[in-house]
Amino acid sequence: MILVIAESRGSKLNRASWETIAAAQQLGSPIVVGLPGAGGDSLQAAAAELAEAAVQEVVTIESPSLESYTADGYTAGLESAIRELAPGIIVLPHTYQTRDFAPKLAARLDRAILTDVIGIKNVDGALTFVRPIFQGKLTAEVVPEGLGPHLITFQLGAFRADAVARGPSPVAVRTLAVSVDAAAIRQKPEAPFQEGKQAVDLSQAERIVAVGRGIKEQSNLSIARALAEALGAEIAASRPICDAGWLPMERQVGSSGQTVAPKVYIALGISGAIQHLVGMKGANTIVAINKDPDAPIFEVADYGIVGDLFEIVPALSKALSE
Amino acid sequence: MSTLILWLLVLAFGGAFAAQVATRVRLIVAAPNTITLDHLGARIRRFVVNVIGQRQTIVERPVAGLAHAFVFWGFIAFAGYTTAEFLRGLGLVDLTHARWFLGYRIIITPFAVAVIVGILYLLVRRTVARPVALGEKVSVESVVIALLIAALMITFLLAWRLPPESVAGHVNWWVHSIVILVFLALIPASKHFHLVLSPLTVFLKSEELGHVPNLDFEREQVGLETVKDLGSKSVLDALTCVECGRCQINCPAWGAGKALNPKAIILQTQAALLAGHRDAKLGEVYSEQVLWQCTTCGACESQCPVGIEHLPVLIGARRGLVSNGDAPEYLGAMYNNLERRSNIWGLNYDQRQKFVDSASLETFDPTRHDVLVWLGCAGAFEAEYQKSLRSLFEILRSRNVRFGVLSKERCTGDTAKRTGNEYMFQELAAANIEDLKAAGPKKIVTSCPHCVKTIGADYRRFGYEVEIVHSSVFVEQLTRDITASGERVVTYHDPCYLGRYSGTVDEPRALLNRFGAQVAEPERTRKNPYCCGGGGGLLFADQEEEPGSRISDVRFKQLENTGASTVVTACPFCSIMLRGAQSSAANGERADRVPAQDVQFVDLMTFVNGQLNRT
Amino acid sequence: MKIGVCIKQVPTRDWRPQVNDAGSWIREQDASYETNEPDAYALEESLRLKEKHGGEVVACSAGPGRVAQVLREALARGADRAIHVDDEALGAADAFVVADALAAAMKDERFDLILTGLQSDDQGFAQTGVILAERLGLPHATIIMEIDIGDGGLRVKRELEGGWFQWVSMPLPAVLTIQSGINQLRYATLKGIMAAKKKVIRREAMPPQATPRQKIVKLYLPEKVKQTVMIEGTPDEAARALVKSLRDDARVI
Repeated sequence: MILVIAESRGSKLNRASWETIAAAQQLGSPIVVGLPGAGGDSLQAAAAELAEAAVQEVVTIESPSLESYTADGYTAGLESAIRELAPGIIVLPHTYQTRDFAPKLAARLDRAILTDVIGIKNVDGALTFVRPIFQGKLTAEVVPEGLGPHLITFQLGAFRADAVARGPSPVAVRTLAVSVDAAAIRQKPEAPFQEGKQAVDLSQAERIVAVGRGIKEQSNLSIARALAEALGAEIAASRPICDAGWLPMERQVGSSGQTVAPKVYIALGISGAIQHLVGMKGANTIVAINKDPDAPIFEVADYGIVGDLFEIVPALSKALSE
Repeated sequence: MSTLILWLLVLAFGGAFAAQVATRVRLIVAAPNTITLDHLGARIRRFVVNVIGQRQTIVERPVAGLAHAFVFWGFIAFAGYTTAEFLRGLGLVDLTHARWFLGYRIIITPFAVAVIVGILYLLVRRTVARPVALGEKVSVESVVIALLIAALMITFLLAWRLPPESVAGHVNWWVHSIVILVFLALIPASKHFHLVLSPLTVFLKSEELGHVPNLDFEREQVGLETVKDLGSKSVLDALTCVECGRCQINCPAWGAGKALNPKAIILQTQAALLAGHRDAKLGEVYSEQVLWQCTTCGACESQCPVGIEHLPVLIGARRGLVSNGDAPEYLGAMYNNLERRSNIWGLNYDQRQKFVDSASLETFDPTRHDVLVWLGCAGAFEAEYQKSLRSLFEILRSRNVRFGVLSKERCTGDTAKRTGNEYMFQELAAANIEDLKAAGPKKIVTSCPHCVKTIGADYRRFGYEVEIVHSSVFVEQLTRDITASGERVVTYHDPCYLGRYSGTVDEPRALLNRFGAQVAEPERTRKNPYCCGGGGGLLFADQEEEPGSRISDVRFKQLENTGASTVVTACPFCSIMLRGAQSSAANGERADRVPAQDVQFVDLMTFVNGQLNRT
Repeated sequence: MKIGVCIKQVPTRDWRPQVNDAGSWIREQDASYETNEPDAYALEESLRLKEKHGGEVVACSAGPGRVAQVLREALARGADRAIHVDDEALGAADAFVVADALAAAMKDERFDLILTGLQSDDQGFAQTGVILAERLGLPHATIIMEIDIGDGGLRVKRELEGGWFQWVSMPLPAVLTIQSGINQLRYATLKGIMAAKKKVIRREAMPPQATPRQKIVKLYLPEKVKQTVMIEGTPDEAARALVKSLRDDARVI
């Protein structure tokens, strides 16, 4: 039996849970989806959603100590559940939360754990897992060793949530009560929060839209802002824009400004002078839009569009909202 | 009776002189020895030309310099006269009635007149014209000394008119003699101590601009931390400063309104030494912030008429701070880049390989190649500068020069050395030298003047000597057979590390003229350019937080003022800084010249190659 | 405060990977090495905590002889001493083996706090710090952005997905895995490098009971190499193509 550990906050399921079910379905059957929590309506609502998948059943793993996530609590609760359910393999999404407890759970069970897996292969009858290594420069095929059940965490986005096969009708949802000693939980978490917008810390931004001289006039910043809004990104700029006072100094990216490492960096009308480059070279994916095909920014961009940003950027904002 | 009085006076004032000199000599002797005597021939030549001939003093400020020269030559001329008169007055020997003495007096009379003219001019200049370089307040000390000098010459001239045995004659003689003694006693504690010290400091000045010896880690040297760490040459320098302000007004940081003032650095050093503050931290004597505003352009040192070397003090103090972890944050990040990636940008080495492949460059092989081309870190990573290198490669190929590049280059360590991270510099240098020795080039060509200085001069101290030339010099030799027509007006920005450090000012101009361009010189040019503001680590500085404007903005305006719409550069950092200044410059129509944004920047190699392709 | 920092030595980011003939690991001869970047931030954080609260910082690493380099770099930046679990097999080992090796060498030190980077730039498991905590019986928290030490306990800020954060309190001693970029890394000063020569690196042998839990059966270069993809077409076409690439290929939106 394949045990999927799903993740939710309140009644909201983490989308990655669906990706994990898709991966599990690739592994085989039967599949049981476990959802830890403290019980109650929100947990039941999330569980009901999971029941739409083509799995054997959904089990809510319940204890009052599992109300908020803690590493100690989840490890203890899931350890109990696993001993009870006796799966052949345990799969989880490689979320921040999973990274916090899954290795501990594996060490507690003394079982192998493979993390950040992007694919599954069957090599000579043995289940082999594909994962990136050396920052994606190489790909490794790995087999877990020792007694099962083994734990596998899947990289976010490696499997597609919309590839999950749905069942003809919702499956059964049952409760598995586990005993977790509240006194043994050493972490005391506070409520999660989002960082306030007063201080601009571009170095933590996951998405950035940056403008350069190509924006020509201050009034044109609005199209960049619209794109940033559509993308859920922070706005930033190269030095001349901040020098001219069109954006505050905290938004300057470059050797005399901020160094950023977002997942995506969209450079609008930025030539790519080296002082700017060194501030954003850590970006995962760089998109450059510039009317000059020889602009140095295209040397470092992953995606480039040569053209008029005043036409392309509004089109991009529109395409994103679709 | 009068002899006795004179003896007493001589002993008293002479004693005061000697005591003050002794204090200063003790400071010099107590300091770690940094005096070198290499290139003896060049030093002697320099002494003759600049001390005896007063060349440097005159060249930068012709009228004031000539006035000073009059005073100086007068002093030399009068030495014999003064000595003879005192010998007679002290009852030792009377040479003043010898026949030759009269002739001597006749010869030095025009000198006396010249001294009076000179000193009066200088006095008026100082008190009425009040040039900025001489400071905000009029120096009372200078006025007193000037009047004393005038009095000496006037009493000498009066002696022609007054009978020696008359009362007036005697009074005149005593006034003259007492003025000399007072002058003697005043010298050590005033800037006129340069009378004694400056011939020494000019002679002892290093032939190399910005001579900053390597730190010896075996002996646990970490740089200059406190006043007592200052070397003996630096102590001599501090005591000899004439406060002329040439270093100050030529300093690009000062010119941009920043707090750094090289003259203040030297005078603060002097004050701290004389106050006996041996353990005072240099970071507090100068105020740390100021130390990071220096681009190491070398204008201060090369302008100083009394041989003061500012850079060993500035860079030495930087070393003291850096060794203790007190480098500014932006430099700390750059040092980490050098440690992890061996380049100042922190970029990955694949990018250099991409450029090498796309330009079809061969790995250097001494059996097949005439020269090694050193790309440098701008060459490896900076897309704009790579265009200039491609032009260079085309020129070389078109002239059948066989060249190759190293398969691996690290930063030469220039920025580490100039900002005071001696450890990083020596690590990079040692590794590069190993690779260079293994490759075995006889000649290296590079387009980066900083690499020229570092590999050509600084690597020498590790025992590695190679001929390295800037591409302008190499290409100039290559293209002597070509003439092109054209009347294009351009302006040329001399890189500090090329014009001032290497003295290479003619070759770039020869190339420009040869290829049909007329050079409109900016106000600071050739061997005294105004820095672009990129050296000494300032390329990375958070200049927004400092007072004044950016050095690059000031220089960009100077270049614009020539009216030329094309600026030719010959250094990757000048290009980065000046383009940056352009992008920040206000746009808009101007009657007499093109808008700032329309000024074209072109590297010298790109210009030459462009013209070659046309012919 | 006695702080332990676990540092891994990894191939430099520049290094172009070469697979060995057996296809089981990289060609080590070709690689040059450096400190794992998240661990460098963990070290910097530990040095700042020492400056604030006093105590000592002990740099720990489990790896072949060459990892002494990163320990010396840590000492040059201000760590007081180091522990090196020295064994050739540790170069390619999985997180269980490394954590067991570190736990055996570190447990008698009775650290008040142990910091490690959240994951390594080579194998990238993101497991070692957490397994270490379990082996030592200590509470832990991962992907930490800020540390606040109080009386006998600490309060740390965890990074969550999507711009969310959470403060968590725990008693000391504890283990934390540190997020990159949490602070500004100091550079190695000349004085630090000179002082490091006199500092002690204690060498330990690998514990006998460490068993591997995984095996690499194949190692190869991925098909895709980083190239700039130029997107053509009208503004609308290009915009749509870009969004599709960002969504499906780069998976950043």
